[in-house]
Amino acid sequence: MKKWSKSDLDKIRASREPDRDWIKVGMSTCGIAAGAEAVFEYLRDEVARRGLPIEVKKCGCLGMCYAEPLVEVRAAGLPQVIYGQVNRELARLIVENHLVEKKLVSDHIYSFNREE
Amino acid sequence: MDKKYILVKDTRRAGSNQTEHFAGLLAAKIQASPAAEAVQVVRAADIGFYDQGLVLKFLPGGPVYLNVSEADLDRVVRETVVGGRVLEDLAAAGTARQLRVVLRNCGVINPENLEEYIRRDGYRALSRALFEYTPDKVIEEFKKSGLRGRGGAGYPTWLKWHLTRSVPGAEKYVICNADEGDPGAYMDRSILEGDPHSVLEGMIIAGYAIGANHGYFYIRAEYPLAIERIGKAIEQARERGLLGTGILGSDFNFEVDIRLGAGAFVCGEETALIASIEGKRGTPRPRPPYPSVSGLWGKPTSINNVETFANVPVVMTRGGDWFAGIGTEKSKGTKVFAVTGKVKNSGLVEVPMGVTLRQIVFDIGGGVRSGKKIKAVQTGGPSGGVIPEDRLDTPVDYENLQKLGSIMGSGGMIVMDEDDCMVDIAKFYLGFCVEESCGKCAPCRIGTYQLLKILERISEGEGRSEDLDRLRLIAQAMQKASLCGLGQTASNPVLSTLNYFETEYREHIQAKRCRSFKCRDLLTYSIIQSKCKRCRQCFLNCPVQAISGDREVGFYIQLDKCIKCGKCFEVCKFNAIARE
Repeated sequence: MKKWSKSDLDKIRASREPDRDWIKVGMSTCGIAAGAEAVFEYLRDEVARRGLPIEVKKCGCLGMCYAEPLVEVRAAGLPQVIYGQVNRELARLIVENHLVEKKLVSDHIYSFNREE
Repeated sequence: MDKKYILVKDTRRAGSNQTEHFAGLLAAKIQASPAAEAVQVVRAADIGFYDQGLVLKFLPGGPVYLNVSEADLDRVVRETVVGGRVLEDLAAAGTARQLRVVLRNCGVINPENLEEYIRRDGYRALSRALFEYTPDKVIEEFKKSGLRGRGGAGYPTWLKWHLTRSVPGAEKYVICNADEGDPGAYMDRSILEGDPHSVLEGMIIAGYAIGANHGYFYIRAEYPLAIERIGKAIEQARERGLLGTGILGSDFNFEVDIRLGAGAFVCGEETALIASIEGKRGTPRPRPPYPSVSGLWGKPTSINNVETFANVPVVMTRGGDWFAGIGTEKSKGTKVFAVTGKVKNSGLVEVPMGVTLRQIVFDIGGGVRSGKKIKAVQTGGPSGGVIPEDRLDTPVDYENLQKLGSIMGSGGMIVMDEDDCMVDIAKFYLGFCVEESCGKCAPCRIGTYQLLKILERISEGEGRSEDLDRLRLIAQAMQKASLCGLGQTASNPVLSTLNYFETEYREHIQAKRCRSFKCRDLLTYSIIQSKCKRCRQCFLNCPVQAISGDREVGFYIQLDKCIKCGKCFEVCKFNAIARE
């Protein structure tokens, strides 16, 4: 594989991240222990089955261990939000309500207070 | 006009949760307003504020309103929802917020994707160090930053690097201490799992600064996912020339290997850790010589903690002055805490140094889960101590925690409420240290054991009046005479509980009473016949058949058979079991 130089890194940084929608599933030990693996697989398969233009990604731990598994969603037209204690049923609601109908799902959003 | 969203949550601690009621009311008022189509009212599960009454959070972009009353809703709709004006009297102010420096990428990037890390400014610090800074200038930048070791002791990072650099010799080493072992602490695991490249980058920069060409990750084997992810990060870095010879086209060479710890707590101590990497039994040796002079294989070695390394790239990219602008006079930057125990929101919290313990527990942690009164917060694991409720307004930094008889430690923070017995807590930590003491030096090997025996005696109702003095005497001897940090600090849990909660110890010894009902041997259970409805639940649930009787004559606990497990107390719906 090609070894990078300093300017290669600069090029990668300058190349804008593709501006597309994503779903992130927290997949550190805490998330996996709480069942994130099944949620990730369901979301990946369901998004593919419906042909939705959104990428399902793995990421690390956001720190809200009490609310794992955590799923963060960025879908155009809606604010970026984090859903907590996500199981298969809630994952289905996220796909149907949030992604398809473009509505936030009540009772499952975890919003934490940090400096942006 | 873009659609707006309002998160609604009733955050009152007492009383029934009225989130649904308020959300319905707000939605109805909005429905009747000109903004009807442009707003969705959403009930939140957690809104990031606690005990602040009804909280409304407008998305995207704010504002957040606290302690909103039903009467306020009309003007909220009129002014903010329709008019777009902020109501200053309701707007949130003054609650502690998290600041993510170390955890900047955790939960944000895919930890197995190098390009995502690079797009978030990854390896920019390394480029800058290699091409714009001499090693001495790197160290100078860290002197400016005031960054201190995050493993617990708080030794200035720049000084450690400077000392290691100053020792002559071509062969030097950098070690990342990822042997995280305090009960309840998992900051390092999360960083390694969520953002492995930041730790690796920090380590390469440290290598450049001190003149080392080889580094070791020392990770405990109980962290398989962390090991896997740091392993992948190393592989990716090697493939792309971020490790190896001529890094990024410079003339700097650096290689990294992983060594797994077998789960011995003492191997987090630097000299024991070095012995373990060398393939020897993991026991400490006297210092000096310090590892900066004679470390791994007798060569100058700098050992830094995972969180310290994760700070390194930020200091390099944003500058030492920026970093020094965060925190208190002597403790700069942020600290990650693993807040656990009786807190509502257990998890990782990153705050600027100088935030108070109370803010961490209540503003961010959401307070005590049970709603009971908080008794103390334990910091620093088995080397730390408890900080009682009346000291929780102390700003967190290295010096302040030490003054209170605890330590910053690596970042474990255990919240304790009225159900936690302080003798029992001391006993727990001493039990841990007895297990983990390596046995090399007598003060620690014998001292921890003797402390534990006395604590056990006290909790069993066999305590003697001279025991408290004896505990203090042994504890002080261990602090002075133990070989390494484990033994020197192992008595801290005893001393701090004794210091702040001596009354509880005395109650155990003199009145044979445990006010938290934790010490089984001091409890007796009995059935209050006047309250008993003879439902048989205690009878059916007793695991040792210590309850006799029937529905005709009533039920009685046979004290000679009772193991004081408390099962009858838990299952009785009529409060007919007395516990004294």
